[in-house]
Amino acid sequence: MVAKEFLNDVITSTIMTRRSFVKWSAIFGGGAVVASNLAELPGQQGIGSVLAQEDESVVWSSCVVNCGSRCPLRLHVKDGVVVRVETDNLGDDEFGNHQIRACVRGRSVRQRMYNPDRLKYPMKRVGPRGSGEFEQITWEEAFDLIADKLKELIDTYGNESIYLNYGTGTLGAVVAKSWPPSATPIARLMNCYGGYLNHYGDYSAAQIESGLPYTFGNTWADTWVSNNSIEDIVNSKLMVYFGNNPGETRMSGGGMIYSLQHYKKISGAKMIVIDPRYTDTAVTAADEWVPIRPGTDAALINALAYVMITEDLHDKDFLDNYCVGFDKAHMPEGYEDEDSYSDYILGTGADGTAKTPEWASTITGIPAPKIVQLAREIALTKPCFITQGWGPQRQANGEQTSRAIPMLSILTGNIGIHGGGTGARESTFSISMVGFPTLSNPVSTSISVFNWPDAIDHGPEMTALKDGVIGKDKLDVPIKFIWNYAGNALINQHADVNYTREILGDESKCEMIVSVEVHMTPSAKWSDILLPDTMNFEKMDIAVNGDASNMGYHIFCEPAAEPMFETMHVYDMCAELAKRLDVEDEFTEGRTVEDWLRYCIDETRKSNPDWPDFESFREMGIYKVTNPGDPYVAYKGFREDPEANPLLTPSGKLEIFSSRLHEIGQTWELEEGDVITGLPIYAETWEGVSDPLRETYPLQMISAHYKQRTHSTYGNVPWMKEVAPQEVWINPIDAEARGIENGDRVYVYNGRGRTHVPARVTPRIIPGVIHLSEGAWYEPDEDGVDQAGCANVLTRYRPSPLAKGDPMHTILVEVEKA
Amino acid sequence: MANKLGFYFNATACTGCKACQVACKDKSDLPVGVNWRRVAEYTGGEWVTNPDGTVEQNVFAYYTSIACNHCTNPICVEVCPTQAMHQREDGIVMVDESICIGCRYCEWACPYGAPQFNEEVGVMTKCNFCYDYLDEGQSPACVAACPSRALFFGDIDELRAEHGELAEIAPLPPADITEPNLVIEPHHNAKPIGSPSGKLINPEEV
Amino acid sequence: MQANEWSLIIFTTVMQMAVGSFVILGGVHFFATRRYDAQAADTLSDRALLAIGPIVILAMLVTFLHLGNPLNAPRAISNLGSSWLSREVTLAAIFTIGGAVFAFMQWRKISTATIRNTIGLVVAAIGLLLVWSMAQVYLLPTVPAWNSPATVVTFFITTLLLGSLAVGSAFVLTYQYLRGRNNLPSSDTQFDILSTTLRWIVLISLVLLGVQFVVIPLYLANLAEQGSEAAMASISLILDQGGALFALRLILLFVGAGIFSIFMYRSLSSESRTRMTGYLAYSAFAFVLISEILGRFLFYESMIRIGM
Repeated sequence: MVAKEFLNDVITSTIMTRRSFVKWSAIFGGGAVVASNLAELPGQQGIGSVLAQEDESVVWSSCVVNCGSRCPLRLHVKDGVVVRVETDNLGDDEFGNHQIRACVRGRSVRQRMYNPDRLKYPMKRVGPRGSGEFEQITWEEAFDLIADKLKELIDTYGNESIYLNYGTGTLGAVVAKSWPPSATPIARLMNCYGGYLNHYGDYSAAQIESGLPYTFGNTWADTWVSNNSIEDIVNSKLMVYFGNNPGETRMSGGGMIYSLQHYKKISGAKMIVIDPRYTDTAVTAADEWVPIRPGTDAALINALAYVMITEDLHDKDFLDNYCVGFDKAHMPEGYEDEDSYSDYILGTGADGTAKTPEWASTITGIPAPKIVQLAREIALTKPCFITQGWGPQRQANGEQTSRAIPMLSILTGNIGIHGGGTGARESTFSISMVGFPTLSNPVSTSISVFNWPDAIDHGPEMTALKDGVIGKDKLDVPIKFIWNYAGNALINQHADVNYTREILGDESKCEMIVSVEVHMTPSAKWSDILLPDTMNFEKMDIAVNGDASNMGYHIFCEPAAEPMFETMHVYDMCAELAKRLDVEDEFTEGRTVEDWLRYCIDETRKSNPDWPDFESFREMGIYKVTNPGDPYVAYKGFREDPEANPLLTPSGKLEIFSSRLHEIGQTWELEEGDVITGLPIYAETWEGVSDPLRETYPLQMISAHYKQRTHSTYGNVPWMKEVAPQEVWINPIDAEARGIENGDRVYVYNGRGRTHVPARVTPRIIPGVIHLSEGAWYEPDEDGVDQAGCANVLTRYRPSPLAKGDPMHTILVEVEKA
Repeated sequence: MANKLGFYFNATACTGCKACQVACKDKSDLPVGVNWRRVAEYTGGEWVTNPDGTVEQNVFAYYTSIACNHCTNPICVEVCPTQAMHQREDGIVMVDESICIGCRYCEWACPYGAPQFNEEVGVMTKCNFCYDYLDEGQSPACVAACPSRALFFGDIDELRAEHGELAEIAPLPPADITEPNLVIEPHHNAKPIGSPSGKLINPEEV
Repeated sequence: MQANEWSLIIFTTVMQMAVGSFVILGGVHFFATRRYDAQAADTLSDRALLAIGPIVILAMLVTFLHLGNPLNAPRAISNLGSSWLSREVTLAAIFTIGGAVFAFMQWRKISTATIRNTIGLVVAAIGLLLVWSMAQVYLLPTVPAWNSPATVVTFFITTLLLGSLAVGSAFVLTYQYLRGRNNLPSSDTQFDILSTTLRWIVLISLVLLGVQFVVIPLYLANLAEQGSEAAMASISLILDQGGALFALRLILLFVGAGIFSIFMYRSLSSESRTRMTGYLAYSAFAFVLISEILGRFLFYESMIRIGM
């Protein structure tokens, strides 16, 4: 009924082509048209598996969004319409081969599929950019417009003027995926036609990805510093979670939160959550919550280190043999005159400040006795698993924080042992599959994922030392063309919406923005050409690299229904463009999407013969592999034999003092107040806890992830808005001071913007801090005041010092009753 | 009567994600505003600001997922003027939507909010324990959905033998009103019914 | 507040007024018959009796607005075994039909006066049972604000107070109408009936007013004593959010049933002042009617169920 309602809305609000009319009349007339190409389920029926109704078929699909999981969805299809959604309900659900149960969002996916926001046909903008005024065009027109503009711009400015914006709306498939942009069909298309301007980093974790490798060296995926696997917490005696909230960010699948609960029950280890919010992870798993002010984790770490060092609780053998920079005797060669970590902590260094618990307490809000007790507990309870999520690092000083938190693991010698860990994000077991080949980009220049608006506005002024341009000393041309594939970072998910509006609103700067989308998102409204994409339930693909703690899995996704309206597969769009750019053969190599899936499976089987072949995989629907070995321990080899297995740092050891970072700090042109240092220090920042601006905007604001959405995906789903309405969390103390009661509508504002949203007055957030979850769909009224609770009308566009990443959780605001 | 069915809810595992609620809505095509299963957040605690600006607190929260408890003494059945609300032999309390007049009296009476008025059809609707799934030997949609495995169902006597008899924690009503076929594993934060220390903080969501 | 609660406010208030009018009329008729004769007793009361009919039918119709699926309405009487709502609906239907039969017989003087009076007595008893069952409907263990003896008492106060004042107004109106048309068989007798009736109505009103002003604080105190979250929320809805309306209700009640009544009593000293008597009777009725509707509105507004 609901689905049909949506369909009704969709249909009545559109001019239907004859093709779709025939299709819909079949659905509503109860006609005999049955969707073809629906795979019948093989004989897998176990506990919980619901038999399809007589006239229903069930197909495997997956929710491919950017949450960190890939959840199996078993779609019940009747007369070509998905009428019900199940998740993995096969097998006996024994942990280790357990059901990968989708989260609440995946369960609402029918309202995403049959949503009135679905884009139905190609459109071109007719009003000013951002006006949302479009008119329907044909696919031919759309391809011609795009191809002509690409040719013109590349002729004039070169391929560096073409940019693939960050987009994670469809993520984790083989062919139809928007992230990373360099692995998309669009990247392949552009690579066939001279390339495009690259970016590095991402909106999720730019600071930790750039900062932490300086301590640990690179291990896998270039920049990723791993931690012990979540299954290894069975060996832990204590778990300390910094801003790590799997209960709301990894709530899905066989998911991280379920694994945490499961293994914690086995180990019986105490769990401490350090977070500005009493998160759902804290509710369900923590034994203690230590509330902390945003951006001050490093100050807490400093004081914990102070207590450990002064009380002689630190692991001196480990620090002497595995690390550089802890004390004067172990500084890297050539940097003996710089402050060591002990100097910095004990106040014997350049700043002359001892990082005592009292010093940290006024910064963090945590009472000094609590800090002392925490330090002793962490130092004396071994092994101890320390982990950080990505909230602490999504700050103006995020690189520092990301390196500071692992100092606890280092000081206590918990690295490389069972039950211990590194302080980075927890690992899981996974099995990998060869991806869709996108060829190589002839352009090597790369900018940070975050500072593309600068590249539009004044690209040629951007340099390597000032703006983090990589591959060249400076950009030569501005961005003139943006490909925005399943991305909402064009306006919604990028910082400072009102500034971005100015940049994008100048149509002479970036001359064409093309969005490949399924819904009319806020970013789609800021496009020039809209290309309606098929949704994942309408096409064949493979959801890859899902991981559920000690189990990796891949899902063979069958099309459950025919593409709606005039939507088209992104690969086919690119193939059409390739024709017009005379690179069709290079682009397709004669392959269809299914051919490429077969190709990727065949390639995978070359190195992993256990991998099922295409037909078998298709039969299985889901392919799960349980970790056959011990729980993964990060840097185990290094711990066992540091000489034989040195880290990929200059010293081969853990670099508490990074000479490379020290040099960068000396050479880069940083904005006033920004620092890059060899040691992981607590850096005060703009709009941080001690910024005098707090006299005007006294509240710190964080914009953590929310159950309603995966970032902005699912933000237009009525069931999800009901499940978790967009609200601003405010402590009763702050609410009372402003005359705000639970449920009141309030304005949250600062010098950059203003948003209108209901207040959730809750003690679950530290006083002085509010939380407005990221991802609500920007909805300005005629005065430019957002009516939807879009956090980014308030955030600041100022790249972090090292990563040039997004510091979304570093802002100051005020709240008033509306 | 044989084999009365009940739910077992493990509050220590519930993250408040509401996958149960939406799986239920998806299965039965329930519109916004009609929730056969609901998740209550009970939250409380105080904050103290010290002279040095540091803060201390005793904040707590926990979730309770509740559908219909298919009570032994179902007040909805008792008060229903039409007998649309009725109880099957196996204890499942159902509403016969073809008889219901939509007076919403059961909605006033049930302290769990189980009967839910559907504006679109003008009658009461409620959890039917997915009796169609049960007939096929399958779990109810909510139980099969729970990512944290906080929700189970079964013969209430067996559930009580295994998990105890507790069926009332704040913000639930006293169990003696309707004798719910529900067993709760209490969260370590759980407060007794009627406790003044916290409150249902998401009333608009349940 | 939703439309379906408005319909309940109108239904319960009007139905109770109708029952009260019927009972009071019966009483007046009973005494008047003994003191004068049947014809004299019928003159004023028959017309008032006929006025109750449309009111009751209106009240019954309004209840349909409260139903999500009115087509099934007849099924509402299928659970007499355990549902007070079923009993209420059944009794309301019997009262309506019985009242109509009685009124018709009385109007057309069908059958003997004894039989008519017996039927009238039975219908009045059913009416009072109806009010009782109406109150029972709200004695839900899950709604502290309703689950109180005050609900029963208040429903009966509404019944008798509105019934009295409605009958009083109807009598004055009929009297003036008939006198204006020089259509009164025996003016002295009719004035005597009118003034005696109104004096009794004033006395009844004052007593009920007194009871109401005792019951309300007792009710609130008892609710506060329970202290549950639902009870406290209900008190807050009555005294805080509904505070102004609550005060207005009490003032209207005091002025209508108290002050206006007393003045009405004093205006009855002379037949020449019946115009004034009329104004006072209508005003007292109007004030109390509004007060009772406000009271009923607050009654529904204060509905907070325990649990979730």
